Amino acid sequence: MRRLLRGDMLPLPSNLVSRHLVVSSLPSLPPAPLPLRREAHLWYIVPNELEDTSLLQDYMELLSPCEKENVLSIKGEALKKCAILSRVLVRTTLSRYTDCKVNPRLFKFRKNRFGKPEVEHQNGCLWVPPSLQFNISHTSSMIACGVTVDVPIGIDIEEKRRKPVNNILSLAHRYFSPYEVQYLASFMDPESRQSEFLRLWTLKEAYVKALGRGFSGAPFRDFTIRFEKSTDSVVPERPKSEEFRIMIDTASDSENLTANWQFALVELSGSHLAAICMEKDENMPGTEQVFLKLKVWKTLPFVEDKCMSQTDAVINISGLC
Amino acid sequence: MASLAGTTISIASRPWHSLQAAKEFSSLKSISFSSIRKSFPAIRLQPASSRLQICCAAKSDTLEKVLKIVRKQLAVPEGTAVIAESKFSELGADSLDTVEIVMGLEEAFGISVEEESAQKIITVQDAADLIQELVEAKSC
Repeated sequence: MRRLLRGDMLPLPSNLVSRHLVVSSLPSLPPAPLPLRREAHLWYIVPNELEDTSLLQDYMELLSPCEKENVLSIKGEALKKCAILSRVLVRTTLSRYTDCKVNPRLFKFRKNRFGKPEVEHQNGCLWVPPSLQFNISHTSSMIACGVTVDVPIGIDIEEKRRKPVNNILSLAHRYFSPYEVQYLASFMDPESRQSEFLRLWTLKEAYVKALGRGFSGAPFRDFTIRFEKSTDSVVPERPKSEEFRIMIDTASDSENLTANWQFALVELSGSHLAAICMEKDENMPGTEQVFLKLKVWKTLPFVEDKCMSQTDAVINISGLC
Repeated sequence: MASLAGTTISIASRPWHSLQAAKEFSSLKSISFSSIRKSFPAIRLQPASSRLQICCAAKSDTLEKVLKIVRKQLAVPEGTAVIAESKFSELGADSLDTVEIVMGLEEAFGISVEEESAQKIITVQDAADLIQELVEAKSC
């Protein structure tokens, strides 16, 4: 018996529905404790590790009718798979933080006025979820979802060896701020320049996505990301990092481009760069907000979850505690 | 050359049955008269149809160039068609791909695309239409 209730028969008491829907061929998800106040959680899937087509079919059942339609319109099996996994990752991740009381299928999403996706809370639900903020990013080889409580978050991942088709300085001249162009031009070695370009790119993307105003609402050339050499003495218990801080400068007269954001940049799985941007807490003293707390899990939902924090799979480049 | 082709096409496209009908009710003389009459509109249409053909050629040229740039950027796998109606999101274009495509188009066509306009592009055809608009505006 795969499904007793259609996903569009809402709203319904969530505990009753989850009991029925769990009867489908998918087992239940382990719940996850909520991110702490200054903490971001990152869950990621590696699409190539999913070879079981029947599992992919089961995943498809978690999607809304609209999401299914979107998947079916995509050309190419690899892209279809990515699209399914992207929605599955968001839905299952959010479900974990409701103590699994809300089935992944039940989440509804809407876009804010600038197009940023957010959870739409439904009336009549017995479970009152916390204010979960999330943001997704994907490449063909990895899909990631960042989660916080209350605080806006933006993430961006890229394959660390990605080589832009166009000339890097041309791209920088067209899109980046003058300071950033100069910074990139200072690297003579093409590989270093490429690497620095991707670091700037992912950080800028993460900021724009955290702001939630879309690419045209926060044009890349209107703000600068720079790396400031850390003047703090190296503290033994801090993980080894390149000892620079990620700073953002915005024009003082810009009302939309705020600067109270903190950043982290990590290398994931030896293959990807991940940039995380979180809003700073106005009420916390400045010194406590230099570093961001991050927990990372690799997942194949309903099959395996692995905590990757404190392993070689998560290498702090800058910004993490 | 284009105008001659236009003339030929307009005569050839006359429905055959109208000539047949004319035969039934009139002599040979009226048939020749009616065919002369039919040729007049074709001559009048000459300038318009040649303009139309050049305009269509420019549009399809633009589309071809756009398709080429998009295909190169996205390294689309064999068997996946990239056509005018293809949506960038369905082709797997991420944000870096998108800005690279926009920059590639700007360089190829000598134009400048505003972020707001770029955000409205959903399909390859949308991109081609925007380029066409910007190119025409530039040549005014």
